[in-house]
Parts: sequence; C-alpha cells; structure tokens
Amino acid sequence: MKRLALTCIIFCFGLVFTTNGSAQNIQDTLQLKEVVIFGKSPIYNINPIILKSEIELSPVRDIGDYLRSIPNVSGLRKGGTGIDPVVRGFRFSQVNVILDGGIKIEGGCPSRMDPVTSHIEPEEIERIEIFKGPFNLRYGPALGGTINLITTKPKPYSKFELHASALYGFESNWNGQREHLTLFGGNKSIYFNLSGGFKNYGSYSDGNDLKVKSSFSKYNYSGNIGFAINKNQSLMLSVIESHGRDVSYPTLPMDELSDDTRILSANYKAINISEKITSLTVSAYRSQVKHIMDNSQRPNYATMQALSAVDAVNFGGSSEMVFRLNPTALLNVGADYENITKDGTKTMTMIMTMGGVKSTSTKRSNLWLDSKIENVGFFAELKKSFNLFQLTASLRGDYNQATSGDTLQIVKYNTDYFTNKRTQYLNLSGSLGLNASITKKLSVNLSFGRAVRSPNMLERYIKFLVVGYDNYDYLGNPSLKPEKNLQTDLTFTYEEKQFGKVYLNGFYSFVNDYISGLRVPTAVAKPSTSGALGVKQFSNIDLAVFRGIELGYSNMLFDKLLTSVTASYTDAYFPYTTKYLITNGQVVDEAELKNDPLPEIPPFESTLSLAYRMFHDKLIPKMSLRVVASQHNTSDAYYEPSTPGFSVLNFSLNYKPVRYVNFAAGVNNLFNKAYYEHLNRKIVGSTLNLFEPGRSFFFNLIVTI
Amino acid sequence: MIMRKNIFIVIVFFVFVSLFGCTKGHIDPNLDGGKIVFKFAHYIDGQPLVTDTMKYINAAGNLYSVSEVKYFISDIVLHSLDGTDQFIYKWKDIQYVDEALPATNTWNVFDKIQPGDYDSISFTFGITKAKNLSFMYVNPPEVNMAWPDLLGGGYHYLMINGFWKNTTNQRTPFNFHMGIGQIYIGLNNTGAITGFVQNYFPVSLKNSSFSIHKGETKEIQIIMNIDSWFKTPHVYDHNYWGGAIMQNQTAMQMAKENGFDVFTIGGIH
Repeated sequence: MKRLALTCIIFCFGLVFTTNGSAQNIQDTLQLKEVVIFGKSPIYNINPIILKSEIELSPVRDIGDYLRSIPNVSGLRKGGTGIDPVVRGFRFSQVNVILDGGIKIEGGCPSRMDPVTSHIEPEEIERIEIFKGPFNLRYGPALGGTINLITTKPKPYSKFELHASALYGFESNWNGQREHLTLFGGNKSIYFNLSGGFKNYGSYSDGNDLKVKSSFSKYNYSGNIGFAINKNQSLMLSVIESHGRDVSYPTLPMDELSDDTRILSANYKAINISEKITSLTVSAYRSQVKHIMDNSQRPNYATMQALSAVDAVNFGGSSEMVFRLNPTALLNVGADYENITKDGTKTMTMIMTMGGVKSTSTKRSNLWLDSKIENVGFFAELKKSFNLFQLTASLRGDYNQATSGDTLQIVKYNTDYFTNKRTQYLNLSGSLGLNASITKKLSVNLSFGRAVRSPNMLERYIKFLVVGYDNYDYLGNPSLKPEKNLQTDLTFTYEEKQFGKVYLNGFYSFVNDYISGLRVPTAVAKPSTSGALGVKQFSNIDLAVFRGIELGYSNMLFDKLLTSVTASYTDAYFPYTTKYLITNGQVVDEAELKNDPLPEIPPFESTLSLAYRMFHDKLIPKMSLRVVASQHNTSDAYYEPSTPGFSVLNFSLNYKPVRYVNFAAGVNNLFNKAYYEHLNRKIVGSTLNLFEPGRSFFFNLIVTI
Repeated sequence: MIMRKNIFIVIVFFVFVSLFGCTKGHIDPNLDGGKIVFKFAHYIDGQPLVTDTMKYINAAGNLYSVSEVKYFISDIVLHSLDGTDQFIYKWKDIQYVDEALPATNTWNVFDKIQPGDYDSISFTFGITKAKNLSFMYVNPPEVNMAWPDLLGGGYHYLMINGFWKNTTNQRTPFNFHMGIGQIYIGLNNTGAITGFVQNYFPVSLKNSSFSIHKGETKEIQIIMNIDSWFKTPHVYDHNYWGGAIMQNQTAMQMAKENGFDVFTIGGIH
C-alpha cells in the first residue's frame, strides 16, 4: 500500500509540475485520472539499456522516435521519420551516436534528414545503451551523452544449426507496414546472420484528422559472418545497407529523393590473453552515405528548382585493451581514428517568364568541397573498488584537424566571415566518478566530467542551406573553436525488495564556446534557399548553462503489477546573449539579454507505466500515460514560441502463446489528442506546428524458429 | 554514523539544488547613437500616387496610369558637415521598395547614427555591379525582380508597370523596367549580345541636411516623383519607345539620365 502511495505521490508531483501554467492541461489531467493505467517496461537506471525484446514489440519506425520514450531523451521531428535524438537538451554532435561501440556514420543530408539513428533500422538492433553526461569517453568525446546502437550479431553453436525470424508490423494511421526477415545459424567455427527488411508508410493524420505529409519508404539488408579462430579469439565481418526513398519532410525546404547507406566493418576480439590482459579488441569500419534531395513536391518548384546531392564517407577504427591490474581494478586503454570526407553540391534553377517568354538561370554551388576531418584519440579508463566505494576515472586526448577545398571567401566591411583555413585542435577530456554505498540500500554517485568536442563538418563548412535547426540558411565557420562541457552529476539510488527502486539525479553543466547559429546581416549574406528567413552562421557563444533533475521509481505491486514512474526536467540558458529586434520583418536594433533560455529545450515531463503479468507472462497488458508540461521557458533571442502541454495515453497487449510466436497489438494516442512536441519543427515557410500522429492502432507479429 | 552520512547527503543535495534559479533580464540597448527611419512615398505631379487610374499626363502628352512601382536603392551615405561620411551597411545595404507592400515602404535602419550635423544624403539607384548577383534573392518579393541571365543577370533596378493610351486611343500596357542593359551586334537590338551596360546611378538628395542627437530617432521621407522619369532632360514618349524597354539600352539610358531628379526629400522630423 505504501508503494502504491509512493507511486501516486511521485506521479502527482510530476503532474503538478507538468500542468503549471496551463489551465488546459489541468482539465485534461483531471479527466484522465479516471482511466486505468498500464505502462511500458520500467526504466531502472539513469543510464538505461534498451533490449531488442522491448523495441521489436513496439510500433517503431525509427530509432530516434523510440528513444523519445527514455526519460530526458527527446527528439527533433522534421517529418515522418529521421527523428534526431536530444539528450538533456544536448543535440546533434553534442550527442555521440555510434554503432557497435565504435562505428561512426556521417549523415549525408545537410538538413539532418538523416541523423545517425536513421541509418540503422530498429529491427537490426540488439540493444541500445545510453550514457548521459560527458563521463563515458571510451567511444569518443561525448559532450552531452553517448548513444551506442548495438546491432544483432550471430553467435556460435556447438553443432550446425539454422534458424529464422520474421517480423510483420502494421500501423493504421499511417497505413504503414514493415517486414523483416532474418536467417541465422552456423556451427562452433563459423556463424552468420543475413537479414533484410522493407517499410512503406503513408502520411499520417494528426489529432485534428489533418493529413501531415510524412510518407516514406525504406529497405535494408545486412549480413554478418563470424569466425571463431580458437576458443579465445574471434573475427566478425559485417555489412549493413539501408536505403530511403521519397521521404517527405514538411518542415524542410526539400524532400529526400534517395538516401543510400553502406557500412562495412571488421572486428577482431581476443580474450584471456594473459593473467593481466583480459581482452583485446581491434576494429575497422567504412561507412558511406549518398543523399539526394530536391523540392519537386513543393509549390515553388515551378519558379525555383533546387536539387542537392551529398556524398559522405567516414572510415576509421579503434583498438582497446583491458588490463586487470588487481582483483579490484580494471584498466581500459585504447586508441581510435576517424576520417570524414564530404562533398556536396546544390543546383538551383530559376524560371522566369517575362513578356510571355520563359527564361531560366541555373546556379551550381558547393555545399562542401573536398572537406575532410581527421580525429585521432587516445583514452584510458580505470575502475577501482575500495570497500564501499567504486571509483571510475577516464582520460581522453583527441587531435583533430580539418581542411576543405572551399574557395568561398566572405570578407565584408573589414570583417572576415568565412575564409577557408586548416584548423588543428588538441582536446583533453576527463571524468571522475565515485559511487558510494552508504548503506546496503542506498548509494550515492557523484561524477565530474569535462569533455571537449571539435566542430563538425556542418558547423565548419556548410554553405547556405537550411540545415534543420530552424528556417534559416546556415553558413559554416572554419574558425570555430571546440565546445567544452564541464559537468557534475549527483545521483541517489535507493533499492529495497519490498519498496522497489528509486533514483534521483541532478546535473549541472557549463558549456564554454557553445556552438550555435547567430544571425548574419543581409548586407553580408542573403539566404539562397527558397523560404529561408535569413542567414545564420555557426558561432561560439561564451557560455551556456544546463541543469536538470531526473527521477525514476519502479516496483512490483501485488507481485504481478509492474509499475514505473519517471520524471525529468532540464533548464538551460545563456547568461548573456544578443537579441535582434525585428519590426516589419526587418532587423532594426539589437539588445543584450541576460539569462535567456536556450532554444529547443524540452519541457518537464512525466510518464506513468503499468504492466500486468498474466498466465505466466504469456499475456501482458500495458498502459502508459505520458504527461508533458507546457514550455514557456523559451528563448527571447531566438523568438521561440511557447508550446502547450499535453497528455497521451497508450495501450498495448503482448501475447506469447508459444515460444516461437510473439504478438503485440495496441493503440497509441488512444484519445486522438492533437498535440505537438516542443522540439518539433515548424512547417517550412510558416509558423504552423508539425503535429504528432493522432490515434493509431498497431500490431506486430514475430515468429522465430 | 548513518545519521551523519544522511545529513551530509541532504546538505550536498541541497547545495546542488540551490544552484538552480536565476533572474532573466534585459540589458538596455546601447543608446550612444541616434536612429533613422526612411519612409518611401510615390508621387505624380506633386500628389500621392493613385494606382490604376488613367488620369496622368506625362511631358510627352501620354495619358497614363500606374499599377505597380517596385525598385531597389542601395548604399545610402549620410554626409556629415565635418567631412566624414556614415555608410548605412551594418545590417542591410540594399532596400527593396514596393508601393503595394507597406512593410517595404519603411526602412528602420539598424545602424546607430553618430550624433552630429549632416548636410546631405546620397544613395545608389539600383544595385552596383559588385552586388547585383543572380540568385542573391530567392524569396518573394525581391525574387520577382530577377533579371534574366541572358540579359545581364542580377535584378531589375526598377519596375513601373501601367497603361497608356496609344495613338489610336487604345489602353496599352507599358513595363518601364531598368536593369543591366545589353549591346547587340545588330540594329534595333537584334542579333547576339556583345556586352552589357550597368545602368545604376548615384542620387544626391537636395535639402536633405539634418541633425541628430544621442537617443533621437529621425524620420526621413524620400519621395519618388514618378512623372520625373518621363521628363528632364529627355521627354520620354511611350508611343515612341513602346511597352517594354528591358532590351533597349537607348531607352534605359534615357531613363537613367532622367533619374537624377526623380527623388526628393518629403520631410525630415
């Protein structure tokens, strides 16, 4: 009874926060109190691990979409797919998204139609690891967090076996379906898997029953072959291909015609090498993305045609050795290398009719020209236990250099806005974490971290394209300095069999040289994308401050009812920033602002989930209620509008009649609520919001033999 | 011992949480300089333009009406009495004016104006060669001023569209357009183009002296006297030049020479 009360108290605490400042929400929330609520699997930790079994039963079209169900992980929606993950308000390259512990993918689209998560299909994922904060430095400099997508790899069998797994999923609102087939097997020496899938989704309807142009098609295939060289050594060779076609992005000036991704990788692993060396891993990869987009589906195509094509290649590798220094200390030492090259062009054709005579003008310009970034990193991580304490200390050094073949130079009125030059940075990152078991039930973790990341390809070299941040053309800045995040996290965890588990986390972060877009005077540069409001250039802002709280509680009520409550809140601001004052669409003056919120910071939200285990877990009904606050803490400098709060109720039923068959069905957004997330982009060329899907029924069938 | 630990945890967390909270505020904008606002107005025969009314008579005796007036001015300079010039460029150096779009008829200048006495204002009518680049505008309304690459590229300097009664008293459309002119190999603007002519020209506004003080905003009205395009020093006859002059450098040259007194100051206050 106490546990039930605690669950209610925590969730009500969330509701109070959530509904603050929104009369509309209070009404919604009160109505929903009468509904019986079940939920998704609980999130037990501040750094969660999501398993394949959770993903494949969900109506998931895109990993970025699924990640939004994790506390304090949100996403930037630009269309039906390709949702860009945001962790605690950190986004884009501030979040290190990697594949299989080290593979990097450079997205092709300058408008971020294809964030890294979009190049891997959810059906290929074995598990997802999320590390919040700048503390995990093994996988590269991670300013705000790391998302490690681990794909399904084959395993050896004692004798030859062959298996197959098939998935079929359908969603009513999108009239969308997905199919995925995997063959896997092998023996103790050679083992493999081969898989392929197809998705075809139409445009969804929002809660107002209005169609949102969001259709897309995707197909993918992959293959892995593993060799057990001996009992301690193995080699894995992998290829992954994914292809997107005709993907609509109503918030961007163009749509994706095609996106073709190929990832090749090889991974060697040796274990138990000696008494001191427990493992050695060496891996290499090459990923390539070819991305083409145009505006042929837009009304302005008759007068202004635009087509962009980008080719991005990322290759590299890493090696890591793990030493057992003594029974209580492990030391990981490693190095990694990344090489990104990118080329892209934009072709614009203006069609004019003068006196009945049609004439055309065509302009071809570079988005990137022979742009290249190399990063060499070294890292060491020590884990040591002392009685009730566990210490984790990491150090990382990165040498980063960038060059480009750009000939563009913008020097106006004695100010150098863009001059191509080679840049080199030596970045030092480090973290220190101490976990103390105060009692058998209560532990405290205090971590400090400093991570430094060099500017990415987009921030350095992009030239005049709406890049998915807002409706401005962006100009790169070869002179950008690296971003540095100094952060501390404090987490309390209390766990007791009867009580359940609760964690409470607070974090505080100072980001120096925060990279953001600042407006460029029209006298210097004008937008070259039809519909763009102006030009912004990536620039360093002296300081940004992030801080937040995360709370999670889960328990098993009455031995059958699994409950969890999560709540999270992030606040971020610039201590000093500049606001450009606009009258009649013209910038007329500027003013300094103090403590202005950062744009695109997700509001407070809380989720209550319930699941009831029936018939020895063969039947599990689930319900979840997600309540999101209105966001009024918006940026003045960016003229960011506030967004109303909302609540969404989902219901699903998992049924596993026999061990070969797994079936899930349910409905998302049960009450067909018309809502949009604060981070959803605006419809291009307007101030209209991109609404989330309305009510959608789904079912997934998974058969494994 | 456990009690002490718990107190320690509470204190640490309290300190952590107390770091939350800050005051949002504005810092006053820099008031060191003055501000100016340009207001654009369009007159014919000393009276505000009434569009689509066939009531005007030009120096050549053509009865005409005006439907649209659109143009660019650029590179405004405030000439001070002490000999220093203040260029208007900090945010915008080209202004598009469209009679039909009120927002374009007001230019709230971003630049802070140095306090002092100014004896005149000058600008470029149209856009200089260095700045008049194709594709520099991709959005309406400016994009609709595009000048075909074949004819020199960039953007129209001026579009005055309307109608006149021709010699047979028929209502006939005219497009009095200025932009980059062409030199043709053949007679009467025929054959291949062998060169281009920049037709932008400088304008110095008479009676445009003013003084400005710290924190003061001056509103300066600039009037385009449309009838002046058709007189002094050349009388422009629609019946002679016809409806369109985009590919007629001689006509555009005449317009360019007529342009010197088209703009006047309506008032500064």
